[in-house]
Amino acid sequence: MNIIVCIKQVPDVTEVSWDPETGSLIRKGIPSIINPNDKNAIEAALQLREMNGGEVTVISMGPSQVEEALREALGMGVDRAIQLTAKQFAGSDTWATAYTLGLAMKKIGQYDLIICGKEAIDGMTAQVGPQLAEYLGLPQLAYAMHIEVVDSKVRVKQKLGDLDRLLEAPMPALITVEREAYQPRVAPMDTILEAYGKEIPVWKPDDLNGEVENFGLTGSPTKLRKVYTPKLIKGKIEMLEGGPEDVARKFIGKLKEKYIL
Amino acid sequence: MDFNLSPESKMMVKAAKDFCEKEIGPIIDEIIEKDDYPDDLLLSFAKARMLGLNIPKEYGGVGTTNLNTILITEELGKTGSVCAYPMLMNNSTAETIDYWGSEDVKKEFLPPLCDGSAYASTAFTEPGTGSDPRALTTTAVPDGSDFIVNGTKRYITGGNKKGYGVFYFKDEALKGEKGDVTAFIVDKSSEGYTTSAPWNLMGLEGMNCVDVFLNDVRVPGSSILGERGNGFKILLRWIAGERIQQAAYMVGLGQAALDESVKYLGERVVGGKPMGFMQGFQWMLAEMKGRLEACRYLTYRAACLQDEGNAIDIDSSELKVFVIPAIQEITRMALQIHGSYGYSKEYKVERLFRYAAHAGVVASSSEINKTIAGSALLKSRR
Ligand SMILES: Cc1cc2nc3c(=O)[nH]c(=O)nc-3n(C[C@H](O)[C@H](O)[C@@H](O)COP(=O)(O)OP(=O)(O)OC[C@H]3O[C@@H](n4cnc5c(N)ncnc54)[C@H](O)[C@@H]3O)c2cc1C
Ligand SMILES: Cc1cc2nc3c(=O)[nH]c(=O)nc-3n(C[C@H](O)[C@H](O)[C@H](O)COP(=O)(O)OP(=O)(O)OC[C@H]3O[C@@H](n4cnc5c(N)ncnc54)[C@H](O)[C@@H]3O)c2cc1C
Repeated sequence: MNIIVCIKQVPDVTEVSWDPETGSLIRKGIPSIINPNDKNAIEAALQLREMNGGEVTVISMGPSQVEEALREALGMGVDRAIQLTAKQFAGSDTWATAYTLGLAMKKIGQYDLIICGKEAIDGMTAQVGPQLAEYLGLPQLAYAMHIEVVDSKVRVKQKLGDLDRLLEAPMPALITVEREAYQPRVAPMDTILEAYGKEIPVWKPDDLNGEVENFGLTGSPTKLRKVYTPKLIKGKIEMLEGGPEDVARKFIGKLKEKYIL
Repeated sequence: MDFNLSPESKMMVKAAKDFCEKEIGPIIDEIIEKDDYPDDLLLSFAKARMLGLNIPKEYGGVGTTNLNTILITEELGKTGSVCAYPMLMNNSTAETIDYWGSEDVKKEFLPPLCDGSAYASTAFTEPGTGSDPRALTTTAVPDGSDFIVNGTKRYITGGNKKGYGVFYFKDEALKGEKGDVTAFIVDKSSEGYTTSAPWNLMGLEGMNCVDVFLNDVRVPGSSILGERGNGFKILLRWIAGERIQQAAYMVGLGQAALDESVKYLGERVVGGKPMGFMQGFQWMLAEMKGRLEACRYLTYRAACLQDEGNAIDIDSSELKVFVIPAIQEITRMALQIHGSYGYSKEYKVERLFRYAAHAGVVASSSEINKTIAGSALLKSRR
């Protein structure tokens, strides 16, 4: 069984900072990591390989430093890695990202499952997985908590709020994995050493057979107009004490005082 | 001269950190409380392929450098737990077997040390001797192709854990010859092999230092490590490597002490001001950091010398002479910065201080190392 895992490299911060002038992410001095959720996707793929055999390929689109993320994935034990790096890919929105990844999938050709993280910690749209499934015309099974392959079909336990759903689809199919599922393994030391001995092919537009105008910023229907931090209104916190009724009365009094009521 | 770690080394450090967070952090309290680690600790190291780090792949090892090995040990040191020791005992004992052992010995003993099914020990100390291994009294007497061994070994780390140990005995058949100490690989579940309860140590809870009583234990001749009578050489080479491992562990403890101090100084408010604004503490941090970096690079250098195939007996002694007191001072400062909290078991710095104390008396004492390093300087003048 052949599995392709899509990983995104993201800045290692809980809150991203923005350049208010250009509207772009400030990445300087911030270390990059594999999008944490994508490590769950890698782990899921590795466990599926352990049970069903086959190969796991990891793929990422991004600037040249994504090689680091790909090496880390190789260190965790995936079999091979493919890098999509070209200046034409820069500035992709989710549509252009899914398009580019989709072309790469077509070039790889033979696969049974594509696994993505649910969402990236920076962009946070959670759209790339589903868009990629649409582009390739694959069944999509999102928010997976558990994945199982039974009789050449894939079964996914999906978490939807309080509900658990069991989905089944023929393969090939695309799955997005939840953050809580498949806690990533520690990269074994010998696999890390091997990871640096492997070649990582870099694919560019010419390798992908796509329409040039569909790549990157030009191919992106979504334009980022402005990024800003909403102004926080600073104020004082006042604790009202007493019984519920008492506090409610005091509260109404305060609202009247401020002409809110 | 390149002070940068290779990308592989950096990723190994990252993986070791990840391992410590996931596998070690959650069990530290329990280890301290029980003065013991879970039986499967070694298996979790094996799964992360942190055993047999210097051992060729054909015997089940990873086949990496000493530098990478000590970088991993340093990360384990940062946890302020004993857990580095079972790992490094397996690594250094396996390395010794790999260096001196015959092909048959390597094939028999290396795989279980690499796959985590056997806990390793090294045993030279006895009730009557620690610093002077020439004064050993445990004996090995030939009996056909086997040997019968008798005596008591003291303070043997992991001596009570299932697996193998490299033991040093007086080889009775070589009595009167220049080299009469032979190294044997002893199965710790042999008949006649018993142990005391673990010594109640000042720190390093879970170290499992026990006395080993050998009562007519039969050891096959095929378990001899290296040449007969060569034990002393084997031991000294092992100890030299162990000093570097120990220094790496100490650097980890020191880093943890500094990290805890920086955190505490940033949070604790005294007289309306965060303590970090007080110049006296800033100066302490500066001294801690300066010493720590010196210790770190001296340790890395020793490991690199080892990787380049140099003899490290003297360099590793110099290393120990500098690193041990420096890290002990760093942990003392960390305790002081934490005030009364530093003297409480609720705070990590308390145990960092206690744990750092061991290094001056384990794997050759500070005094012995000063003698080695100092006399070597004079020898080179002659
Ligand atoms: C703060 C911010 C807001 C943005 N808002 C939008 C927006 O509203 N609309 C829009 O179209 N674009 C937006 N973008 C751009 C968008 O983030 C990326 O360009 C797009 O490539 C990925 O979208 P995402 O980060 O939301 O990923 P998600 O859709 O959240 O990622 C889901 C999964 O897709 C896979 N994946 C995502 N990116 C890659 C990649 N480069 N290579 C391989 N696998 C990948 C991973 O498995 C990932 O876990 C935004 C970017 C940022 C930083
Ligand atoms: C936590 C722990 C773990 C240990 N693990 C092991 C283990 O796994 N295997 C093992 O075999 N042993 C182990 N030991 C024992 C340890 O290696 C010895 O304690 C050490 O070698 C010192 O020996 P000693 O205690 O007999 O001290 P002694 O040799 O009695 O020395 C006492 C003091 O005299 C000093 N001294 C001795 N000789 C000289 C000299 N010639 N010149 C100047 N000063 C001198 C020493 O520095 C020391 O300060 C362990 C000990 C501890 C505490």
